[in-house]
Amino acid sequence: MINHWMFRCKDVSYLISQSMDQKLSLRIRLGIKFHLMMCDLCSRYKQQLDLIRKAISKVETEKEEDPFITPLPGQTRKKIKNHLKTL
Amino acid sequence: MAALKSKDRFKGKSSEKTWLTGILKHKIIDFIRKKYREPVFEDTISESRLPDDVFDANGKWETGPAQWASNPEALLEQKSFLDIVKKCFKALPRRPSRALALRELEGETTQTICKVLNITTTNCWVILHRARALMRECIETNWLEVKD
Repeated sequence: MINHWMFRCKDVSYLISQSMDQKLSLRIRLGIKFHLMMCDLCSRYKQQLDLIRKAISKVETEKEEDPFITPLPGQTRKKIKNHLKTL
Repeated sequence: MAALKSKDRFKGKSSEKTWLTGILKHKIIDFIRKKYREPVFEDTISESRLPDDVFDANGKWETGPAQWASNPEALLEQKSFLDIVKKCFKALPRRPSRALALRELEGETTQTICKVLNITTTNCWVILHRARALMRECIETNWLEVKD
């Protein structure tokens, strides 16, 4: 019975990623939390994914300050994005 | 190879050269089709695939993620680390790269990403998971080399 409650590291690594994209059910969130309490490697994995998320946006914002790259103006970007959504 | 297999069907209506280039043309089309076809992902969590199988048969880490620094947050201030992140982000395969960029840089929801990439929601999560796992692995390999 307890095994149904216990996630394996393999599942948790997927769920950690999924939790970064949407809100998971209470049962799954508790399952992850419980697993992380006991598993140092998965805790480290989660910490690294959080760090990667921060690092990616940091690297990208710095890129936009590069004078040789002129990004499209915000308004144009928004227009294109909205247009894509309607497709 | 295909030409040898069907040489009986070649009736000499056309020259050998056009016949062979015809086969080649179809082979190339087949190849391109295969390349751009949707990769098949299993629809269950347990089947989600990592770049290498980093888990054993019981779903436990084989070796597991290594420690990058005693204070990982400080890495965000280190140029050598951020350079590796940049390099690894560029090195991602096309679809995981697009999915991750849409998610992390444009802040899109998975629903939108699925629509843009024309895939199911589950595939979207699997691709994002793969993208992050690949990024993590790439950063770890390169960072531990630089660090030592």
